[in-house]
Amino acid sequence: MNDPTPSNGVSRRAFFQLFLGWLAGLFAFGASAVAAVRFLVPNVLFEPSEQFKADKPEDYLDGSVTFLEDERVFLIRNGNTFRCLSAVCTHLGCTVNRAEHGYHCPCHGSVFDDQGAVKGGPAPRALTWFLVTLSKDGRLLIDKGQPTAPDRYFVL
Amino acid sequence: MNASPLKQLWQKFQRTRIGRSIFRVGLPDSNLERSQVMVSSFLLHMQPAKVNKHSLRASYSFGLGLITLYLFFILIGTGVLLMFYYVPSTERAYDSMKDLEFVVSAGQLIRNMHRWAAHLMVLFVVLHLCRVFYTAAYKPPREFNWVLGVALMLLTLGLSFTGYLLPWDQLAYWAITVGTNISGYAPVVGPKLKYLMLGGNVVGQPALIRFYALHVMVLPAVTILMVAIHLWRVRKDGGLSRPDEPGNVVAQVELSHLPTNKTYGLMELARGTTPQVGANPEDEVFSWPHLVFREMLLFMFVVAVLLVLAIGWNAPLEQFANPIHPPNPAKAPWYFLGLQELVAHSAFWGGVGVPTLLVVTLVLLPYVDRQRRGTGRWFARERVLANTIFSICLFVAIVLTIIGSLFRGPNWSWQEPWKKPPAATESH
Repeated sequence: MNDPTPSNGVSRRAFFQLFLGWLAGLFAFGASAVAAVRFLVPNVLFEPSEQFKADKPEDYLDGSVTFLEDERVFLIRNGNTFRCLSAVCTHLGCTVNRAEHGYHCPCHGSVFDDQGAVKGGPAPRALTWFLVTLSKDGRLLIDKGQPTAPDRYFVL
Repeated sequence: MNASPLKQLWQKFQRTRIGRSIFRVGLPDSNLERSQVMVSSFLLHMQPAKVNKHSLRASYSFGLGLITLYLFFILIGTGVLLMFYYVPSTERAYDSMKDLEFVVSAGQLIRNMHRWAAHLMVLFVVLHLCRVFYTAAYKPPREFNWVLGVALMLLTLGLSFTGYLLPWDQLAYWAITVGTNISGYAPVVGPKLKYLMLGGNVVGQPALIRFYALHVMVLPAVTILMVAIHLWRVRKDGGLSRPDEPGNVVAQVELSHLPTNKTYGLMELARGTTPQVGANPEDEVFSWPHLVFREMLLFMFVVAVLLVLAIGWNAPLEQFANPIHPPNPAKAPWYFLGLQELVAHSAFWGGVGVPTLLVVTLVLLPYVDRQRRGTGRWFARERVLANTIFSICLFVAIVLTIIGSLFRGPNWSWQEPWKKPPAATESH
């Protein structure tokens, strides 16, 4: 026993044994925990694409607001300009309904105006506008992954 | 001794070699055997051999915790049965619910019992919490068991919430859409938490299978463990709370004061109070039959009431989940309608702020409340302030829940229930 035993009673050997023991234990536990949490975060989503094609521009009447049910968006035509408004309420994700002026959410009573801005209710943000472009085959192409400003139009 | 024929037959079996190998003590006839039977049986040994008379008074505890426990047992039983038919797939879940309703023998009854027991369990957890508060039963040495109780209440709500999605009907789909979006409002981790809960961005197959795994495995396992600790602590903390009686001096062994150079027996080391310490012998009765028979009677009563409810009122099943059209109004289960009413005013406060404040307050309560008196009595005079604050909170919660359930119509607008609009006449 040549270990120098300092006044606080912990020898160098005991210190390293404790230190390495705790280090190994914490590493094993921590790595397992990180792996378990990471395991639960999916890498591949089998969800519908955020881009979709609507019909051709001329299929929508001038001045119309069309609800595209499967995509939960409103397609709005004014003259030769097109815009696309999300129908997903920014409060808690219900589908808003078109009202005479603006949009109403049935779940918690949020009210939006024609521009998607909040007029009442608990919604924290305006409804999202999505980017509208034209696909190569002449149909409107909407990207729900690309929010855009309410005054940005697609002009035919 | 005029024993009934059934009892004679039982005693005959008891005396055989097989009988003796299973039951070491027969039906007790003496006080010695009444003690022995409690410690020699696995199921009975979780309870003390003798119990304080005060703990048996139905007007003190109303058996609320016990009823909650029984409902949990029934939920496990009926839930395991439902698992034999239920398929956690978005395409087949709803069909398997229909099968349970129309094809499987007693399927509707089992599902009804599961649904009713779930609703009642939430109710009785809250009632139990109220009882423990109003009788100041969370005071030392029972502070930590109160914290465990709060955790069990949250687990109960978690079990209810995860169970709600499984039928994959309109109610399920939109309740989960709303609920998971609420979690998205949590600061910093909100959106990540929502993604983790749903296993994606939308309520779909990954969300269903996650909620299923939580509902049938993770949460029940944790709950069973916590219930075990909760009950263990009830005994270790000296049985049910009761008022201090003259002569009932709490004997607290301070381990640090004991000489450390001798070996101690278990009884010498047992810390804290036991039902026996300091109690007058005449205050105690044998658990067999006084406690055990009352428990059995209460269990039969709970099952009977549940059967009546399950036969009389069917569990609702709305239309197949439709991600495009939420029902109008889209309502959460009744125990979340108070929160939904708050959410309708502010998503952050209703969904995150108020619930977090409530839970933190409840957890800290036994450590913040320093008043030591009043334990074991309903509405003790010394606790007027605490009881008033608690009652006001309770009252607000009940009023919000009633407003959310009865006074909210289409678009969450104010709607007196006696003035039904022609469209929204669906009942639960």
